[in-house]
Order: sequence, then structure tokens, then C-alpha cells
Amino acid sequence: MSAQVSPTLSARRRALVLLAWLALTGAAAWQIAHTRFVADLTAFLPADPDPQQRVLIEQLQSGVPARTLLIGIDGGDAKSRAETSRGLANALRASGLFEQVQNGENEAWSAVGSWIVEHRYQLSPAVDAQRFTATGLKEAIGETLSLLGTPLGNAIKPLLERDPTGETQRIAESLIPSNAPRGEEGVWTSRQPGPTGRALLVAGSKAPGADLDAQAVAIARVRSEFAAVATPGLKLQLSGAPVFGVDSRAQIEAEVRWLSIAGTLLMSTVLLLAFASLPALGVALLPVVTGVVAGITAVSLGFGSVHGISLGFGTTLIGEAVDYAIYFLIQARVGGWRAWLASGWPTVRLGLLTSVCGFSALVFSGFPGLAQLGVFSVAGLVGAVLATRFVLPVLMPHGATGARGAAVRAQMGRFAAWAVAGLPRWRWPLLMLGVVAAGLLLLRGDLWHAELSSLSPMSRQALALDASLRADLSAGDARSLVIVQGPDLQATLSRAEAVVRVLEPLVERGALAGVDSVTRWLPSLATQQARQASLPAAPALQAALAEATRGGPLKAERLAPFVAEVQRARAQAPITWESLRGSALAPLLDALLLQRADRSWVALLPLQPLGDKLDLAAVKQTLQAQPGVQTLEIGAELTRLYARYLGEAQAQALLGALGVVALIALTLRSLPRVLAVCQPLALSVLLTMGGLALLGVHLGILHLVGLLLVVAVGSNYALFFDLLQRQGQADPDTLASLLLANLTTVLSFGLIAMSAIPALSAIGRVVAPGAFLALLLSAAFAPPWGPARRVPAA
Amino acid sequence: MLLLSSAAPAWAAFDLSTLAALLAQRKSAEARFTEERFVSGFDSPLQSSGTLSFKAPAFFARHTLEPQAESMIVDGNTLVFKRGGRSRQMALDAVPEVTALVDALRGTFNGDAATLQQHFNTRVEGSAAQWTLTLSPRAGRLANQVREIQIVGQRSDLRSVALWLSGGDRSLMIIEPTATAASAPK
Repeated sequence: MSAQVSPTLSARRRALVLLAWLALTGAAAWQIAHTRFVADLTAFLPADPDPQQRVLIEQLQSGVPARTLLIGIDGGDAKSRAETSRGLANALRASGLFEQVQNGENEAWSAVGSWIVEHRYQLSPAVDAQRFTATGLKEAIGETLSLLGTPLGNAIKPLLERDPTGETQRIAESLIPSNAPRGEEGVWTSRQPGPTGRALLVAGSKAPGADLDAQAVAIARVRSEFAAVATPGLKLQLSGAPVFGVDSRAQIEAEVRWLSIAGTLLMSTVLLLAFASLPALGVALLPVVTGVVAGITAVSLGFGSVHGISLGFGTTLIGEAVDYAIYFLIQARVGGWRAWLASGWPTVRLGLLTSVCGFSALVFSGFPGLAQLGVFSVAGLVGAVLATRFVLPVLMPHGATGARGAAVRAQMGRFAAWAVAGLPRWRWPLLMLGVVAAGLLLLRGDLWHAELSSLSPMSRQALALDASLRADLSAGDARSLVIVQGPDLQATLSRAEAVVRVLEPLVERGALAGVDSVTRWLPSLATQQARQASLPAAPALQAALAEATRGGPLKAERLAPFVAEVQRARAQAPITWESLRGSALAPLLDALLLQRADRSWVALLPLQPLGDKLDLAAVKQTLQAQPGVQTLEIGAELTRLYARYLGEAQAQALLGALGVVALIALTLRSLPRVLAVCQPLALSVLLTMGGLALLGVHLGILHLVGLLLVVAVGSNYALFFDLLQRQGQADPDTLASLLLANLTTVLSFGLIAMSAIPALSAIGRVVAPGAFLALLLSAAFAPPWGPARRVPAA
Repeated sequence: MLLLSSAAPAWAAFDLSTLAALLAQRKSAEARFTEERFVSGFDSPLQSSGTLSFKAPAFFARHTLEPQAESMIVDGNTLVFKRGGRSRQMALDAVPEVTALVDALRGTFNGDAATLQQHFNTRVEGSAAQWTLTLSPRAGRLANQVREIQIVGQRSDLRSVALWLSGGDRSLMIIEPTATAASAPK
């Protein structure tokens, strides 16, 4: 055998290489053990956002929605659901894990109620100088009296002597939500007709949304408290961003585990059939392990954390990295590793460079999630190839020697040779098919269309449950906000007050139902002081009151408490951010007012639609002249972001593809050869896309990443055919290695295509057929063999 | 047997279903009202007046004109308050006690016996020419606030609504029909 003539490495050199490999993978494993794995979609938001996107990202990462659990209680009857709702709410409030738990019970407001009465002359928007003239008082008292003797009057009467102008009522009135959930048995209830009703709760955790471990604890607490208080027959429904985050992470973990186990088993079976040797199997898997470890480590070092999707993507590397080992193990059999370095290696190296070229376009993406995929691929492929180049020759300098398995490989080689001889006849029909595919792609105008949520691993059922709970709670996802920013707290509050003021006429016109603002609870200092300054001194107030009540049913003598409280309010200390932070209103305050790291402030003013109508154009136009004010429509903004994201990725993929062609052209320096290599690549991308278009699939970012992988894998095949053509012979060993490599790739990506995670299955469904087509087309479009062609004995 | 199963004969007792059938014939109504509210602590009753309007099946509006303009408009599940140039909208079913109160009037105008019985214990006295419908809230939040509602009417017209609150205050609304549109032939 040729093995004996090939020189082996010195023992020292071999030990050195192995030690270096062990040290590197060991260090990488240590890094991985200390890596944080995340699963939220914010990694797929831009790293360098504009001001609107910045608020959106802040909201998605740490805003109230990111830590709000939506809870439904299904089954039983209204009474048992209400009892369980109250029991669960009390238990959760007592747990200390939640900042606020709401279930529609009014009792939660009683503490806030007395605070409002206390501060009514600082809080009521009706308080101004005119209010305390005789005319103003008469009007205000008349309004209050109109409620007495009605069922509403019961709540007003105890306050009549203290608050005859109805400031408390005025503040309470502005707090009535226009879209509150339905009330039944004193708790929030679903409006949707169903087999049974559903009680609803909302719980905001203290822990930030990104802290998935803390969110998992909070979710487990909801489940255990529900189990403890629930009447038998009731069922708990949980959704919201924290549930998505925790479930996504768990699902990705589970999915990555079974995909990598199943992938490894499948690969091992194929490799065992082909090599019939356990050592060869172990050696073949080594570049795979090295590649995955290198990928995770590079992402961890570069980004500080690893996204679940990157991790899932790592399993796709199994299929590609094993190819390198197969090429070496089969091709090094003739002439050993040194001969392979001269023959097969340059082709593998060029294939690697083209792959890296394609993926490095993604590395520079403005979206950290996409950049992670790029870094993962580049580092993973480089790691796998380096392991093949340096470690494999140490372990198996002569490739997969031994007669076992040779029969299978010889058969594969013969089959491949037969196919290679026959395929070029199909060239024209294949080209025609390509033209048809191109036409199909042009006809499908909506081919590239997907939502950011397509990156989410959540199932359809989970998304449907979330949508139904949101509809029940009237907490739609397509929420609109006015964002008010200012250099300091007082400037921000004043700007927010101006927004509320100018939007008031729009509310009257029916353009919207209302606007929530933190200034309801925390008016700017200037506004509080202006309201207090408009309160008259006792003699003036008494005189005005006497005139206002003359001849009316309410006598001025009864209103001494009112005069006294107005006097007290004139000298009352202002409501401050600090004083509210320590009160029951803190959650509301935090939801509507944020301080940034640069000490500037942001107030969020959610717009309430009238029914389901909101005239956002009118709002935008009205707010045009307001300083530091922007309007944000969360749903539309996310769609816009995804569109930008998709466009950017398409441009990068195109750049990457151009880079691949340039690299091949530079290396081969011959137009026919470049054409022969690029033609099958382009055609396999075209046919794969055409097939997906025919099936009605909408293409998104991850399909694009899959197409890049098709080019990366396919370029290896095309380049090997170029090599064979130059050698003037289609040697069955190389053909067998190509067939085997293709088989493992198609199998492993076929496995991924079955994944329950949409992002992963998208990649699998592109790469499995794409890689098969790439091999088929590389054979079909290889230039005719020279006269030197011969079929050597196996 | 044939006689018994046919439409209610003239001598049958005047009960809720008979009254409901009578009221259901009317598809819309316009009326003026004057209201007196007797509130403890006030020597004389608080007075107000305005208009009422009703359109089957779900629209009901009360516009107070004197002494101060204010409106309460119910359409389906939406309740709009207008006072002093401000308006506030809310979902009716978010506050069940308000739903019940609105349904006392809307359900009577509509002749919707089922809705009335869902919220109230009902009692009907008199005859089609002059009847009294007494509604007392079943258990729940409304019962804590409202003791009884008594509606007096003639044929399909409502003539007065008296409301007793649990605190002892009460109100009496006298209704004067102004239009009887789309009334089914008798």
C-alpha cells in the first residue's frame, strides 16, 4: 500500500499538535461554560437604532410589556373562577415577586383613592383661577350636585363638604379606562364566547424581562399558587413576553439537544457504513466538535452572550463540517496526508474561503442576531477546516485505511461515475427548469415577506393563546404611543402636559378615546405651583362661595371644611418623583416614565383607541410642532424594522455572493472554469427558490441564510469537479467522497427541516434540497472529460 | 286545548311577559323628563330636566338640559358621558352594576323580560292601560347601592321612574312622551 511510502510526522510534532488542540478546545469549553444563553427577539433588533427604535427596543428589552404575564383561568363557573382569581391575585401579591397584580378588583384602588383626595388641588386639571371665582364655583358645584341622588351620588356625598367643586370626581373621571375588560363577579372576564368563560389577570414581575431565570421562577410561582388555590376543574392559561422568553429558551435547548443527538447518530451510521471503523468515525466527528465549539466561543467572546437561534444554527454545522473529514479520510488514502495536502487540500481551502466570504457579509450586519449567525458560521467552518488540516493527519495520516467498508465506497464510486457520465445529457432540460423557476420567482411578487416573529420559536398555538388573552384584556399588540423626551425631569413633564393639552380637542372630536400620561399622577412642578397659586385666601374664597351658593340648594355654611382644605392645600409640599417612587403608584410611574443612563428622561403616553379606531395621522399632525415629541406605532415600527432588516440582509447576501464569484475568478483565472463552477451554484439557488415559491412558502431572513449555506456547501462540490476535470479523470474515490459528503449534508439538514423551531426548519428546508441540487448540477455542468479519462481500479 | 294554547286571552293575568310583549312593539321613543332628587341634608329636592331617547335594540340616551347640560349615551356596550365640554367613553360591561342600571331602562323600553330578570326580581301590577313594574336588584354590587326601581306606564309608554337608593335618597323622574314612531298596529 502507498501508506508505507508516505512519511509520518515525528512523535514530538504529533504530541504538540494534539496538545495545542486540547488546550484550545479546553479553553473554549471553559468560555462556553461561562456563557449566558439568551432567547429573546431583541437580538434581532438593530444595534444602532434611531430615536423611535431606541424607545421600542427599550420597551421590548426592559419595558413593562417585557415583564408582564397574562393569566387566564378557564373552566368551571363564573363564581369559582372569580374566587380563584381573587385567591391567586392575593397569593401573588404576597409572594413579593410581582410589582403589581391586577384582576379587576376595585379594592386595589382604595389606598390610591385617599392619596388622590389628599392631593386633589395639585392633581385636578380643572384647578385654575377662574375655578374659584363666583361663576366658576357655581358651575362646579352645580356639576357635583347633578350627581347627588343618583347611584353615583353615594360615592360623592361623603366628600361633599370637603370637595364641593368635585376635583376628586374630576380626577377619577380621567382614570376611567375606555377599553377595560368585562367585569363579572367583581373580576376581569373574557368577552369572547367560548365553551366556558375565562377570568383574567395581569401580573408584572419585579425582575426585568431579560432575566429569564427570574422570569422562570415567577412563572413557576404562578403555577404553584394556582394549583394551591384553584377550584377543581379550572385550567390555567399563561402567556406574555416572559413566558415566550422562558419557553423559547427551554424549547431551543431541547431542540438543539435532540437535533445534535439525532444528527450525530445519523451521521455515525452513514460513516460506519462507509468506513466500517470506529476510529475513523471518531476522527470524522472531530472537526464537527471543533467547529461547533469554535462557533459558540467566537460568538460568546464577540457578543457577550449567545442567542438560542445561533446555538440551533450550530447544529446545522454538523452536516457541513463532517464533509471536510470525509474528503480527507477518503482522499488521503492515496498517497497519505502529504499527497492530500497537494491535491485535495487546495480545493477544500478554496471552498472554505468562498464559504467564509459568503458569510462574512453577515458579520457586518447592523443586527446583532444576524451578525451572530455570520460569526458563528465563519468561526465554525474555519475551526472545522483547521482541525481537518492539522489534527486529522496526526490521528490518521493515511486516511481511512483498511479494506472494511471499501466495497460500499467502491459501489458509491461506481454509481457516482455512472451518474457523472449520464448527467451532462440533462443540461438543457435543467437550464429550462431554471428559466421556469426564474419566471415563477418574478411572478410571485410577495415572495420575500415575513415577520420578525418568524424568528420566534413559539408555536402557532402559543401565539394564538397570546392573541386571545390580549384581546380579552384589550391590550392589543399594535399599540400606539407618544414618546416625550427631555433633558431633565421637569422639562419632560412639561412637554408631556403640553401633549395632553393639544390632544384634548382630538379626544372631543373622536379621533381617539384618550391619552394616558404620567402627569396625571406627577404634574410638573410648574403646573402644581400654578394650581396652588390659583387657590384664593380664606376671605376671598368665602366671599366668592357666598355669591356662588346664593339661592342654591347647597348652603355656604356647610362648606367650612372646603375653605379649610383649600387653605391647607395652598401651602402643601409638591408631589415629587421620589415621593411617588415609594407609594402604591410606583408601578404606574415606572411604566410611564423612564430615566436613561445619560440622565435624560422619557415619558410614554399610550394612546387609547376609540373602539378600535385611532386617527394616528391627526395625532401626528397635531404634535408636529411639539419639541421632543414622537409618535410610535409599535406594530408598524416592528414591521418597518423587519423590512429594513430583510433588505439589509439581501444586500449583504448579494455582496457575499459577488465576493464568492470574485474569489473563484481570482483563483481559477479562467472564464470557462469560473463559469463551470458558478453555473451550478446559481442554478441550484434558483431551483431551490423556485421550488419554495411553487410550494407557496414566504421567504424570510433564515431562508436567505440557508441559501448562503447552499452556496457554501455547493462551492465545494463545484470546485472538486473542477479539480477532477483538470486531473483529467473522475477518480471514484473523490466521487465517492463527494457522494458521501452530500449524503451526510442532505440527511443532517433534512433532520433540521423537521425541527419544531420555525427558524431552524426554514434553514433545513432550503439547504437539504439545495445541497442535493448543487451536487447534481455540478456533475451535470462539469466540462466534458479530456481524452485522458480512465476508470482506475478501486 | 286550542283556546289555551293560542294568544293570551283578554282575561289572563297581566304579568311580565304580557307587559314585555306590549313594550316590545315599540321600536323607538322620544320623551321629555323632569326629575326631582330627594337627598338627605337638602331642604328642597334637586331638580333637573331634559330629554330621553330610545332606539331598539341597544341605543339609549339621556340629555339633561337644566340646570346644567350633560349627557349619558349608551349604544351597545359603549357608554359615553358628556359633562362640562368633556366626554368620557367606557365599556359598559366593565362595570356590571352600571350595566344593570342601564338595562333597567333599556330593558323596559325594549320589553326584554330576560334581561330584566337577569339583574332584578320583578313584580308587575295593574293592567295594560296603567301598569307598575317594580325591579329590585338581585344580590351583588347594585343591591348595595339601589334598593328598588319602580316604573309606571300606560300601554307601551313609560310615564315615571322612581329610584330608591340604599342610603335613603330617592329620585322621581316624570316622563312626557313627545313622539311615538314606528309603533306597531295594535
